[in-house]
This record gives sequence, C-alpha cells and structure tokens, in this order.
Amino acid sequence: MTATMNSGAITIAGPAGASTKAPPLRPANRQFAILAVLVLLAIPLPAILPSAQGAVAVRILIFALMAVGWNIMSGFGGMFSFGHAAYFGVGAYTSAYLLVKHNVSPWIGMLAGMVVAAAVAVIIGYFSFRYKLQGAYFALATFAFAEMLRLIVTSSKFANKSVGFSVPLIQGSSLWKLQFPADSHAYFWVALVLAGAAVAISIAFLHSRAGRYVTAIRDDELAAAALGTPVMRYKLMTVALSAAITAVAGAFYTQYYLFVNPDLGFGSAVSIQAIVPVVIGGIGTIWGPIVGAIIVGSLTDVTATLLRTPPDFLDFLKGRSGLDVVLYAVLLILIVRLLPKGIVGTIAARWRR
Amino acid sequence: MSARKLIVALGACALLAIVAGCGGSAPMGAADAAGQRDKGPVKIGALHPVSGSNAVDGLQMRRGAQLAVDAINAAGGIKSLGGRKVELVTGDTQGKADIGQSEAQRLISAGAVGLVGTYQSAVSTNVAVVAERNRVPFVMDVTATDTIFARGYRYVFRVQPGSKVIATAAAQYLKQVSEQSGKPVHKVAFLHEQSDFGSGAADAFDAAAQQLGIALGPNISYDAASVSDLTAQITQVKASGADVLAIAGYYRDSLLAAKAIASVKPDLSAVWGVSNGAYDQPKFVSDAGQLGDRYFNTNYHYDATNPQTTALREQYQRTFGDPMRTGAVLSYDAVQVIAQAVEKAGSTDPEKVRDAIAAGQVAPLTVGKGPIEFAGNGDNSNAAPVLMQVQGGQVKQVYPPEKAESRPEYQVTWRP
Repeated sequence: MTATMNSGAITIAGPAGASTKAPPLRPANRQFAILAVLVLLAIPLPAILPSAQGAVAVRILIFALMAVGWNIMSGFGGMFSFGHAAYFGVGAYTSAYLLVKHNVSPWIGMLAGMVVAAAVAVIIGYFSFRYKLQGAYFALATFAFAEMLRLIVTSSKFANKSVGFSVPLIQGSSLWKLQFPADSHAYFWVALVLAGAAVAISIAFLHSRAGRYVTAIRDDELAAAALGTPVMRYKLMTVALSAAITAVAGAFYTQYYLFVNPDLGFGSAVSIQAIVPVVIGGIGTIWGPIVGAIIVGSLTDVTATLLRTPPDFLDFLKGRSGLDVVLYAVLLILIVRLLPKGIVGTIAARWRR
Repeated sequence: MSARKLIVALGACALLAIVAGCGGSAPMGAADAAGQRDKGPVKIGALHPVSGSNAVDGLQMRRGAQLAVDAINAAGGIKSLGGRKVELVTGDTQGKADIGQSEAQRLISAGAVGLVGTYQSAVSTNVAVVAERNRVPFVMDVTATDTIFARGYRYVFRVQPGSKVIATAAAQYLKQVSEQSGKPVHKVAFLHEQSDFGSGAADAFDAAAQQLGIALGPNISYDAASVSDLTAQITQVKASGADVLAIAGYYRDSLLAAKAIASVKPDLSAVWGVSNGAYDQPKFVSDAGQLGDRYFNTNYHYDATNPQTTALREQYQRTFGDPMRTGAVLSYDAVQVIAQAVEKAGSTDPEKVRDAIAAGQVAPLTVGKGPIEFAGNGDNSNAAPVLMQVQGGQVKQVYPPEKAESRPEYQVTWRP
C-alpha cells in the first residue's frame, strides 16, 4: 500500500459544457478526475432509486470492489486467479468472527481481514511462483487453495462449521458498527466510499513504480528479470494488494447481508463473480471492472422486471424465470467472441486509432 | 482531447444510469408501501427459488401459494375488509441469499402485508432480517435450520417442523418401530451431507439417540455438490456392524446412496432417512425402482389422511399436470396463516397482522399435532413430522398410528 498518491482534485476551467482548451492532464490525474466525477454523480442515486433498486445499487458496488481487486492481480499483473473467493471469504469471516465472538467493530474487522487476506495471498503466491506455476496451472492452484479454505472452514468449530455467522442486529443505526435501518442510504454511501477508494488505489498503483514493474513483468517476465527487476517481490506485492481489496468486499458483504456461511464466503461462485465483470468490462483496464459490475449487477434485476411486465411483443415471456441466466450466457459468449478486450478495452483501442 | 473523453465518459454514465434506473417501478419509500397496502387487493409476497437448481421445488411452492390465494378469493376474499381480494406478488430468489434480500425488499415496497418462503435456509436467514427491519411478518413455509430462532426476531414464523424436531422424532420413531417389530435397534450409522442441513440433522439425531440409549456407529459426511459415488462410505458402514443406516441428504446424493447400498448390501435392518430429500418423493420411487423399496423417511409431509389435502392435491394435479409436493402444501398453509391473520385483524397494517399471526390458530393441510400456532419464538409448536415408507412402489405414511395409512415393515429387501 505504498503507492504515491497524487492529489486528484482537478477542476476544469470555464463553465460546464465548454469543452475547449482544457489543459492536457496526465493520465493518472485524468483518471482521478473521472473517478471524482463518477463518485459525485453516484452520491444522489439512493435518493432517486426505489428501495429495491437501492439494494441492487449496493450489490453493484460490492461486485465492483471484487472486480477491481481481481483486476489488479489478474489484469495488471497477468496472474490469472480462479480463487479470489479465498480472499473474499477471509475478509468476510475475519470481520464476522471478530464481531460475533469479540464484539469488535466491523471497521477494525475489515482491516484485520485485509491483513489476513494479504498474508494468505502472499503465502499462496510465494509457493506458486517459487515452483514456477504458469497460466492454467496457476489458476488451478488458486482454485484449489480457495476450495481448501472452504473445507477447512466447513469443518472448523471456531468458524461455526457449516452454519456460518449471523451478524447480531442492533437497535437504531451506528456507523461504528456499520449497521443502519434496512432501506438506509448509508449502506450505499459507505460502499461508494470503499469502491471509490479501491478504484483510486488501482489508478495510483498502475501509475506507480510498482505498477510499471508489474505490467512489465506481465508483458515479458524474462526480459524484466534480466534487467534486474525484483520479480518475486513485486508479484507478491500485487497479489497482497489485490487480496486486501477483495477482503474489503467480503467484510462489507457480511455487514450488508448480515450473514455468511462457507458457500457464500468461499464457494467457487464467488471466484467467478470476481472474474466475470472484468472479462465483460475489459481485463487490465481501469474502468472495465466498473462497467462490468454495473452490467452484471443490474442484469438480473432488469430482466426480472422486464419479465414481470413485458412489452407486448415479448408477451410470451411473461412470468417465466431464468431469462437472466440465458442473457448472461449469451452476453458472455458475444463479448468473448466479438470484444475479446472487453467493452472498455475495445472502446479504448478504437479511440487510440 | 481529454475534455472530449470526459464528456464521452459522462455520456456513458448517463446511459448506464438510465439502464439501471429503467428496471424499476416508480420510486417509493416506506411511506408509499403503506399507501400501496391501503388500496386495491391485499398483497401477500411469495419468495421462492423459481430458477436455479431448486427451480422444480420453487415453482411447486409458488403454485401452492397461488392456489391458497385463489381459494381465499373464491370464498369471498377478506370479509372483515369488505370482501377485498387477495393478490400474490411473487419474487424469484434464484437460490441466492443476496437476490432473496433485494426481492424481499421489493415485495415489501410493493405493499405486501406479509411474506412466505423461501425453501433454503441461507436465503431465509437473509429474508428474515429484511422482514424484521421492515416490521413485516415473514412466515417460513420450508426452512430447516433452527438457528434463525436463536436471534429473538419478532416478525419471523415457521410452519414446517424444524431440523431438530424432525431428527429427534426420527430417533424416537426408530426405537418404537424397531421394538414393535421385535428387532430392537442397537447401533446406528449416520451418513449425511456436510452443510448446515445434514450436519444439523446428524447432531440432533445423535443427541436424541443417546437419550434413548441407542449406540451410534460411524458418522460419515460428504459434499453433496461434488459427490459422485458413495460406495466407499457404505462399505465403511457395512464393516462397522451397524444395523440401521440413517441418511440425511438432498435428492441426488440420497439416490447415489441408494445405489451404493444396493451394490454393497450392508447387514442392515432398515435404511432410515432423516428429513431426507429423496426417500419420500414419488420421483425417487420411479428413479430407484426396486432399489428404493422399504426405505423409511421421517420428514414433514402433506397429511394424506385429510380429505381436504387430497382434494387440494387433485386440484393441483388437474391444473399443473404433476403431483403436488409437500413443499407446495406448506406454502399453501403459510399463505393461509397470513390471510386468516389479516381477516382477524381487519387491517392491512403489518404490525396488527403480525400480532394476529402470533395469536392465531390455523388448521393445516400438512401433518401436525394440532392447528398451526406459534410459540413465543415464532416456531410452530404443533409441527410434527411423520414416518413414511416406500411400499410396493408408493410412499405411505406408516407412523405414528393416528396418521398411518399402512403398517411399517421393518426390514430391507436384500435380507430375510
């Protein structure tokens, strides 16, 4: 976490809409500016959306956190992980355990979860890189580690075995306990701050010395090593950062849904949930994970709404379920076939041309 | 250039915001939910997994809830509210806890006076929290786990007998049936899937069996999602010398266990399902054929001795063309609980409906010790499981005697 942060407060001179003569920004600062605008735009969202859609908005932010975390390791670092559930679960379980058993604030639990997840990631990473696991073998190893953790948790008494943890409800609301009334806007804002910080960190990381080293290692590890880049150190730094961000997603998930069990924390579906938004949005891009999370997170709800009151020409679909899964599959296939760089990646490539 | 990119990015955001926003009805908060409840039909929410791996059961249960609503409307709606009709508003949990949570929120915002659901323990745990925080009653039709009731929720009720009640009854029925058949049980091996459902059943059964002085053999767990063969586990049971094998699993894995038992042929007096997802299903009888004959199962069940239940199941069969499962009958009961509470309260205020549910009595169409009435924690105090057995290609209720369709045959097909 030693990325040097440039201050991202950028104001563009002139009245809004005057798209002339803005000073050219450095890429990092431009990305920070876009991020600031996005966050500002999102702030009033929960007040506008009906409460059921508010829940979807929070789900999108959780997806975004997971996707940003996965993207740092697998997009920027090129180490394709199929086991991010391990870090999500560690974050979820660490915070839940500390809260339920020792009444520790979820914020402290979140930090603890980040530390434990980073440590786990470094251990997994060290052994994988030490024995030169590449590509598919590395992906399988990460998957195996996540499954191993799931089985350990399922059979451990201190983790409540297969039952998992339920977060105790409190009266009223408290930011320190990270618990608010059911349709409170505060959940969205907390998630927005966390997701915004994660994106800021990923921008800073990408433009930092470590980020440059890591992308160089991704593109040609042998050449980078020959030039004296400390490969192992920077790879481990990347997986630790990625795991820590994913752990935040896990800790927040537990606080929002108030319940975690081995499958919800460590199941392979969780690993897939971290990957899919990035694949759709664009692997190795800053904005890909976010665009992907918005699409994947809202897809279910949009299709379900469509099915409840379909337009006339789709009347035969009324009351059917499972269409979102079909759409999801079709979308994935189309994106992988037609836009292998993902939505953002393709747009960026066109733009450069 | 950079400013142009900014504008493009903003345009993209606006587009996405529209896409995300269009998937919804008009905005409404808690105050509007109350407005929704006061006009039009009285809305009852049903949350079930209608897509995903449990879609068959989820759809059954949604239909069961719909039949209850139809029956209430055919009888003149809610009379204390001047004959207002009842409407079922439905949500699909997809078997996922987070989807269940947002769907529950949506149904409550749409004006549901109460919710029924959800078939899966993990999803119910989440929906219970939503109901509790919105102060809307949630009547669980099928939810095995007992841990929800340890939380002291005020708005959460359950119709089915819980995991512990079923497992305890399973141990008692085993002792009584085996003694009446002249082959008293001496040692029970327990095979269960490793999640909350199977492990909870195994723990409760062990505790009850120890009380009854039954010895326990190996306790073997497996992963229901990935298991493809249980021969090794059944061989272990055969080597242990246990005379009864208790099995708590879902449908697919319990069928695998039946196949493994048929090939290993352990020296058992009975195969004893405990809230088993297969051994009382007509589908199991057709899938397993001869293999499944004389299998026992202690579970919740529609009351085959009640003529009203028989009529309802015939109606379901006519309407939807497949046999009505117990889950659907439990959903029917759960909707009746809410509707009769609205009738008694004469109000659609969820708080008054909740109080009427807590004080009410509803005659069930599932097996029970009496009318559905709720203990202080919200669990149905008259919920009772029944012992069933596959006999000659049919699932029969065999114990306790007052609910029995035929007598239990305490033996297995491959041993005299």
